[in-house]
Parts: sequence; structure tokens; C-alpha cells
Amino acid sequence: MLIFADPADRNTHHGAAIATRPQPAPLPAPTPRTQALTVAVALMLVFSALGTQLVRLGQRADIMISASMAEPVATSHSRPDIVDRSGRLLATDVEVHSLYADPARVLDRDELVEQLSTVLPDFDAEDVRRALADRQRRFLWLRRGLSPRLAQAVNDLGLPGLGFKKELRRAYPLGSLAGHILGHVNASNLGVFGIERHIDETAAPEPAHSARTTERPPVRLSIDVAAQGALESELADTSSRLNAAGAAAIVMDANSGEIVAAASLPRADPSKFGDVDRPDRRDRLQNGAFELGSIFKAFTIAMSLDMGRVTPASVIDVRQPITSGRYEFKDKIDRPLTVSEVFVLSSNIGTAQLALDAGTSEQKLFLARAGLLSPMRTEAGPITPPDVPSNWERTETITISYGHGLSVAPMQFTAAAAALVNGGLSVKPTFLKRGPSAAPLERTRIISPETSAAIRAMMRANVTEGTGRRAEVPGYDIGGKTGTAEIPGPRGYRNGAVISSFFAAFPISAPRYVALVMVFEPKPSAETGGKVLAGVTAAPAAGRILARLGPLLER
Amino acid sequence: MNTLTLAAVCLLLASAFLLYGLSYDTRQVEARVHSAERNADRLRTEIAILKAERAHLARPERIEPFARQMGLQPIIRHQIADPAETKLAGAAGPPATATSR
Repeated sequence: MLIFADPADRNTHHGAAIATRPQPAPLPAPTPRTQALTVAVALMLVFSALGTQLVRLGQRADIMISASMAEPVATSHSRPDIVDRSGRLLATDVEVHSLYADPARVLDRDELVEQLSTVLPDFDAEDVRRALADRQRRFLWLRRGLSPRLAQAVNDLGLPGLGFKKELRRAYPLGSLAGHILGHVNASNLGVFGIERHIDETAAPEPAHSARTTERPPVRLSIDVAAQGALESELADTSSRLNAAGAAAIVMDANSGEIVAAASLPRADPSKFGDVDRPDRRDRLQNGAFELGSIFKAFTIAMSLDMGRVTPASVIDVRQPITSGRYEFKDKIDRPLTVSEVFVLSSNIGTAQLALDAGTSEQKLFLARAGLLSPMRTEAGPITPPDVPSNWERTETITISYGHGLSVAPMQFTAAAAALVNGGLSVKPTFLKRGPSAAPLERTRIISPETSAAIRAMMRANVTEGTGRRAEVPGYDIGGKTGTAEIPGPRGYRNGAVISSFFAAFPISAPRYVALVMVFEPKPSAETGGKVLAGVTAAPAAGRILARLGPLLER
Repeated sequence: MNTLTLAAVCLLLASAFLLYGLSYDTRQVEARVHSAERNADRLRTEIAILKAERAHLARPERIEPFARQMGLQPIIRHQIADPAETKLAGAAGPPATATSR
């Protein structure tokens, strides 16, 4: 009876106790018949109490006690899947077998090491032999994350002292696709880079003592696998055509900031620990700030138009060189240009004059408002902060007007430039898909809709008749701007080494997407007419990429 | 009295059997639940692996060479039409071809 007693159940217990108590003394001596009746009633009460308890215990689920057999040694963590915008799998947890040894139970150390080295590839025999010598140890990982086939092979050796533990391991079924964005996890399945890290920062990781996949809903990225694959293959093609040191590109929704595809070559494999942040494979879109060159002119012209100091038809005399301290700046153009022509023909003197006319403090204010001077981050991690000159005076005002002297990460540039073409509202880049029930975007006005329309007209003119002609793709109404930036070296700018880029928006009348295509250090070839200018390197690459991606994008 | 005692003893025996039976059934059900849970876990794991394998097989890098071997090419803009621009516009019924994407 007491075994079943439940503190929450005093009534039944109490009732039973009263019932079994002998009758009070003043009553006449009970006859055998009443005695028997009392016993019967008491028994019935007891049994009904027992019955009630049984029913109650049966209904309570949490009373079930189960001993946990899992050892707390191999704590792994289960992670939600990562899928692309239409639900295609990018990362998932799979069960793997991890091999451990109990040194105290190993009979023949040398035989074990020898046998294992025949089965396991790149097995460090010497290291294991030394570790196994310590008989005080009861647990030693030999290899984590074995494939089922290898685990079977080790099991078939039948060596005493070895054991397997099932663990969860992150798998990236698409290989290196979107590797920089996904980031990677460590041996305990915790995110340490990229989106994987973001997942752990936003929701606490679930420790899993056994291999058990999570039931958490998948994390849905804004990336589209088909577009990403096409972008990566076109970039690889571009990089090899131009014999370049690298290439990178982003395609971003011009309003919501959702990144549909973003790739930086050489690619990184998320399943190889540390590959993503290796210096030679770093993500050039987020983890690198560059002087971007003439594509920056869009900001200078937008500033002057928005301040009302000029109109697209205002004429600027670009024939006179500008001097600042010991520097002299000049163009090869021998006629006065309209503001629109300054953009289309990419005149440095033209933008320098506009910037000087607006003034250094206005230029700083405008670029800060556009979001180009302050640090920024996406879900894939912090973006390299812009390298703002500490000494920003006349010379800097001139060079920054055409994109030199201020380094910005391409991701940050693309988000800021999206505001120039989308009607003038700020854009925050994101790698997560916006659901239909997402909160409205917080956007601030950067420039007026009229200025934005003027910039769009100039960008279209640049593709139809300016430096960006080779980016034209019939049917897509691409607008864009080329930029060829020299790369700073230890002593001044390096000779012939450039970053060639093309910033595009389409359809230009009301852009749905913006894109930035960058080619790092392209080499001149017959195809480019012996030049490395963006008009013959990045612009045709952008044309090919957009022609390929266009049909894959949502309209 | 005898009848009553007999009845009580019978009741006791019956309830003892009942109790034993119940606890036995409970243990069996519990074992079944555990094995079903293990099975579900195993299946979940298998599903995860199959999903990963399927995604691995469908990766663009693998599909693209196959598609090109078959003579397929990426779609170009001219292969996509807006129903409003075609002759089908205004005709009864939905457009014959899917045009999104």
C-alpha cells in the first residue's frame, strides 16, 4: 500500500485508513456477522483504493522510470537541416560510427595498431601506440566519423578493447556549393563559422547523447541551389578564360536584400575543417575590403544629383587637370561632358569635380548615409569593415569620388548600391529567406526616387552605348557600371594588377535584382584584346552570368 | 461466513492474477514502445541519409554534364514568354504553357 502512496493522493489513502480503524468502544460488542461484514467492507475499500491508484499510475506517463544507458563521454549536438529557398537540402546530420579504445582492455597493443593501420587510411600508428601505453586511461578516441563500410571493416578485425559509438556528423551533400556561406562545424557538431555559427547563436544547440537527428524545422536560406550552381560554374569558366587569381559574384534581391546566389572562387569545402577561413580561399565578398574603382562613381553622381547641385544634363569641363598637393589628376577626354556622359564614359575628373563641388564633409555624410562607412554583418558572419582613411581631405575626396582610397567589402557595396537603383531605399543583405509573414523591412531613404531613376537611366546608357556594352543580354534590360581598380601593393599601385568589376541591375526600369561580378587580377589575352579593363573582362562575364541565371530567378 | 471468506479469498486471488497480468502486459507494452521508438530513430537516421544521398546525386555539378551530354542547354530569354504577350492572351482558358521561372 505504502509503495503506491502518492503525496498528491491523500484522500484515498486517508479514506482507506479510516475504514480499517476498529469501531469505537461505546458501541455493543459486534456479532460475528457484523465482524465479517466489517472485514468485507474494509477489504473492498482497500481494493478499490488499490484499483484507483493503479488507474492513476497508468495514466501518469512521467512516472515511467527509464535508466539512461548513454555515457556522457561523446557529447554530440544535433543541428537543424539547412535548405535552399525552395527546400533543396544543403546540410544535414547523418549518423556515423566513431571508434574508441579502452587501453585497459587492449590485449596486444602492437597487433591492434598494426591491424588498424591496414584498414584505416592515414592512420598515425606511432601516436596511437603512445596513447595506448597509458593503462590508467579508460577511453581514447581513435577515429571519429567513420563511414559504415570502414566501421564494418574495423569490426571484422575482432580486436578486443575497441568499441564504437554512434555520433551525428554534419554532411554537405552538395560538396563545395555555397561553402563560404554555410561555414563549418567542429568535431562536436557545433557551428564555428558561417550560417552554421549563426544557427547556434540564434538557437541554443541541442546536446545529443546518442545519435539522434533533431526534429527542429530546417533553416531556409535565400540561396537558390540552381542559381548558385550556375553562378559557380560560370565564375569558374570566367576565371579560367581570363587566367584570373580569383572571381566573385553576388546576385541580390534589390529590395529585400535576400542573396539569391553568392560565390567566391577558389571555393571552400565546408566539410573540411578550416577550409572556409583559409587565407587563400577566404570569401572575397565578405572577408575582404577592396578599392572598387569606377563602380563607385554611381555614389558620387547620385550625391550631386540628390543635393540638387547638378542635373544629368549639366555640362562639366573635364579637360582641365585637377591638382591636389603633389598629385595631378587628368583624363584622356578632350571635350566637355554632361553629368550623364561622365558616368557612361567613366570620367575621373568629372566625378572629382562633382565631389569637390559638394565638399568633403557632404561626401562623408552621404557615404555614411548610404551605409558604406560603418561595419556591417550578415548571417554568414561579420563583413570586413570598410577601410576609411583617417585623413580625409581634398586628395581623398577626389580619389574616393571614383572609387580609390576607400576600401569596402563587395557585399557591403552591393547592398548600398542596391539603394541607388531600387528607388532610393536602404537594403540590408540577408542569407535567410523572408517568409510571407515576415515583419516589414525597416528601410531608410538614401536618395529620392527621381535621383534613383536618373541613375538607372545612366546605367542603362552605359550598357547600350558606354563601357558596359558587352554585358548586354537581349531581353533582360540590364543596366550597369564597369569598374577597373588598381590593386595597392607595398609601394604604390601594382602595375597591371587590377580588380575588374561590373555592377548590374535588371530589369532596369524597376530592378528586381542587383548583381556584382568581380574578376581579380585578370590577365590580358586575345579574347580581351590585350587589355584588362572591366569593359572587356568583367562586363562580358556579367553578361554570360546574367544570361544563364536570368531564367532561373523568380520574377 | 464461509461463503464470505471464500468469496473474499477468491476476490483476492482474482485481483492478484489481474494485477500480475496487468503488470506483465504493461512491461510488454513498454518493451514494444521502446522497440518502436528505436525503430523510428533508425528510420529517421535512414531517412536523413537517403535525403542527403538524394541531394548529393542531384547536385548541379553532377547534373550539368549529363544534361549537356544529352544535348540540352541553359534556357535563354527567348524561350520564355509572358502569356500577355502571346497570341493566347484573351483566348479562353488558361495558357497552355507554364511561364513562371
